Amino acid sequence: MTKKSAGSTNRKVTRRTLVQGMGAAGLGAALGAPLSRRAFAQAKAPIKLSFWTFENPQQRPWVHKRVKLFMEQNPHVTVDFQWFTFGDLGKKISVGFATGTAPDGFVSQDWFMPTWMDKGLLAPLDVQRLGYSSFDAFTGDFASAFVKGATKEGKVYGYPLWFYGFCNYINTKQFKEVGLDPDKDWPKDWKQFGEVAKRLTIRDGSKFTRQGFKFAMHAAQWTMIQFNPILITHGGQWFDASGKCSVNNAAGVKAMTARASIAKQYGAEDPADSIATNPLPQMDWLKERCSMFWCHPIPLAAIKSQNEKMLGEGYFRPVQYPGVESGKGISTTYGFNLVVNARAPKEKQEALQDLYKFIMSDLVDCWKDTAPFTLARKSGWTDNPVVKDFPHVAEVIAAKDRGVFLPRTVVYAELADAMHRGVQKIMLTNGDIKATLDEVAAEVDRASAAYKKG
Amino acid sequence: MASILTTNQAPGRDAARRPARPARRGWRLHYSRRIQLWGASFVLPTLLFFAVFKYGPMIWAVELSFTSYDMVSPPRSLGLENFENLATDPIFRESLFNTIVYIAGSTVLITLVGLGLALAINTAVPGARYCMSAMFLTNLMPILAVCLVWRFLLHPYGLMNQLLEPFGIDRVDWLTDSRTAMPAIIFVTVWRFAPYFMVVFLAGLLAIPDDYYEAAQLDGANAARRFWHVTLPLLAPMIFFVIVVSALLSARIFLMPYIITGGGPGNATRVLSMLIYETGFSYMKMGRAAAISVVLFTIMMVFTFLQMRIFMSREQV
Repeated sequence: MTKKSAGSTNRKVTRRTLVQGMGAAGLGAALGAPLSRRAFAQAKAPIKLSFWTFENPQQRPWVHKRVKLFMEQNPHVTVDFQWFTFGDLGKKISVGFATGTAPDGFVSQDWFMPTWMDKGLLAPLDVQRLGYSSFDAFTGDFASAFVKGATKEGKVYGYPLWFYGFCNYINTKQFKEVGLDPDKDWPKDWKQFGEVAKRLTIRDGSKFTRQGFKFAMHAAQWTMIQFNPILITHGGQWFDASGKCSVNNAAGVKAMTARASIAKQYGAEDPADSIATNPLPQMDWLKERCSMFWCHPIPLAAIKSQNEKMLGEGYFRPVQYPGVESGKGISTTYGFNLVVNARAPKEKQEALQDLYKFIMSDLVDCWKDTAPFTLARKSGWTDNPVVKDFPHVAEVIAAKDRGVFLPRTVVYAELADAMHRGVQKIMLTNGDIKATLDEVAAEVDRASAAYKKG
Repeated sequence: MASILTTNQAPGRDAARRPARPARRGWRLHYSRRIQLWGASFVLPTLLFFAVFKYGPMIWAVELSFTSYDMVSPPRSLGLENFENLATDPIFRESLFNTIVYIAGSTVLITLVGLGLALAINTAVPGARYCMSAMFLTNLMPILAVCLVWRFLLHPYGLMNQLLEPFGIDRVDWLTDSRTAMPAIIFVTVWRFAPYFMVVFLAGLLAIPDDYYEAAQLDGANAARRFWHVTLPLLAPMIFFVIVVSALLSARIFLMPYIITGGGPGNATRVLSMLIYETGFSYMKMGRAAAISVVLFTIMMVFTFLQMRIFMSREQV
C-alpha cells in the first residue's frame, strides 16, 4: 500500500503525458460529438430536401438564412438550397419536371401557378400543418386576389410569400430642376403623365441627355408587367369570355396608343436607348438617365449600390401610376408562392410544409432584410414600427392593395413573348398598332388552341 | 505448351509446319480478322459514346417530332401534325428566313474575310504574323463577353456610332432597327470567326509549293491569274471545308442573337435555334421543338450534300 501510494505520489505530469491526455480528450470529443448528434437525430429519420429559388440580392439571402436556421433547429433535415436567375427559374423547373430532377420544393412566380396546377405538378398543402384551422382561415389571412391564384377547388397549392405592386419612381431633384413640385405635381392621369415626362426630357439633337420616362424594353416579363395596368385601365382585357385573346380590340388599341404616346407624341422617351439588364431593370432611373420609371419596390441597398448620392440626399420617391381618370391609376401586382412538388415522397412534403411555416414565422425579420418588398400576409408585419417608419411605405403598400394581376393563363409564356415582339415592332420599327396587335392575338389564339388539343 | 506458343503465330506458317488440327480451328482467328477485331475494340468506346450521347438523342428527337410532348405527360403521337403546323406558322417562317439569311451572310463573309486575311498575312509584309496572333485573340474571348461587349459598342450612343459621327453619319440604331439588326449580328459573327478560318486558309496557302507560282510566272501569269489558276484550285478543299463548317456553325448559332438582340426587334433576328429553345423550354412543347430541329437538320444535310456534289464535280473536271 505504502509502495503503491509512494508510486502514485512519485508519478509526475510530464509534457508527454499532457500531450497524450490532450490527444485522447480531443479524439474522444471528435468521436463523441457525431455519435451524440446521431443519437439525438435518430429520434427522427433523416430527410434530405432539395429547394430552389430565384436570385435577388435581398430576398435570396433572407430565404437562405431562414433555411439554415431551420436546419439548425431540425438536425434530421438537410436542405440542398439552390438558386437561379429570376428569368431562368421557371425554365429550370420545367426541365426538372421533364427529367425527374425537379426539386422537392421551390419558390414559384405566381404567373406559373396556373400551368403547374393544371398539370398536377404541385401537391396540395395541409393548412392545419401550416398553422391554420381551416381553408377559409388560411385564405382570409392573405391578400385575396393573390391567394386565389394559389388555390383550386378548396385546396391550397402555394404558401404566399412576397406580393407587391409597382410604383412610379420619380427623381424629385429632376422634378425640382424643371420647376415641378414632386409632392404635388407627380402625374395623376395620362395627359399629365405625357406632359410631365416631356418637361423632364432633355435632348441634344437626336440624342437624349435625359428621358422623361422610360418603359422597360429588355424582357418580355417587364413588357407584360408595364402594359397590363394600361390595358385594364383603358377598359381592355387580355382574353374575352370565350378565352379568345382580345388585346387587339378597340380598348387594346387605345391602351397601346397611350403607351406609345410617351415616345411618339410627347417625344419623352427613346425606346432604343437603355442600359437596363435583367438583374437591374431600373438601371436607367438609378443612373438618372430617366426621371420616372415604373418599378417594383426598390430596396434602399439597390439604390445605394448604383447611386449613393441619390440615397444619401433622398431625392427619390414612389408615387402611384397615372390613371385614365385622375388619381385612379393602378399598377400590376405579382408575388411568389412556396410550393411542394407533387412527386416528392409524403415525408418530404410534410417536412417542406414545416420548413415553409418556419420561414414565414418571422415576417418582421423578413421586412428588415428585404424591405420594401411587401408580403402577401395581411397580419403580422404592417403594424410593426420597423415597417411603419420605412420611407414611403404607405405608397408601396397602397400600390399592392390597388394593383391588378397579370393574366392567369396556361399560355402565359407565349402571350408575354408575343406581346414583347409586338411592342418592339410598334416602338422600334413603327409597326401599325392595330395590325401588330392582330398578329399578337392570332399568335396567342394559336397557342391556346394547341394547348387545348394537348 | 507448344500449342500455346503457336497460337500467336501467323496461320499460314503454322499450317505449313503441321497439318490441320480440326478440333482447334474453331477458336483460332485469321490474322486479318484479329486485326479487325482489335481495331473494332479500340473504336468501340467512341462508337458507344456517340451512340448514347449523339445518335441516340438524335433518333429520339426525330421520334419526338411526331408527337405532342410537354415534358410532363408521356408523349402522344400526332403523325405529321407538328410539321403541318410549322408550315402555316408565320413565326416559324420568319425564323427560317432569318436563319437562311444568317447562314448565307455569315458563311460567305467568313470565307471571303478569312481568305483575304490569310492572303494578306501570307505576304512578306513585316509584322503580318503578329497581326495574325492579334486577330486570333477574338477566338480566345468567351462568346458571352464578345456578345456583351458588342451590345455596348452597337448601342445607339455606343462607340460605333461615335466613330461614324465625324463622317456625317447620323445615329444608327444597329440592334433595334429591323433593317440593321441582322447585318449587325452577322458582322459580329464574322469578327469572331473569320480569324479562326483565316488560320485554316493560311495552312492551305503554306502547303502550296512555290514551284507552281514560279512556273506560272514564267508562263507570264500576273498576280490575279496566279491567284485564279493556282491558288484557288489548290485551296478548293480548304474552301469546301470552311464553307461547310462555317455554315454548320452558323446554323447552330444561338448565343449571339439571344444575348445581343434577344431575337428582336420584333422577330428580326430570331433564328431557328432560338425558336427551338423557346418552343421547348419556355412553352414546354418538346414535340414541336423537335420538329423544328428536324427541319433545320434536313436543311443542313441538303446543303452539305449539295456542297459535296459541287466540289466533287469540280474536282473531276
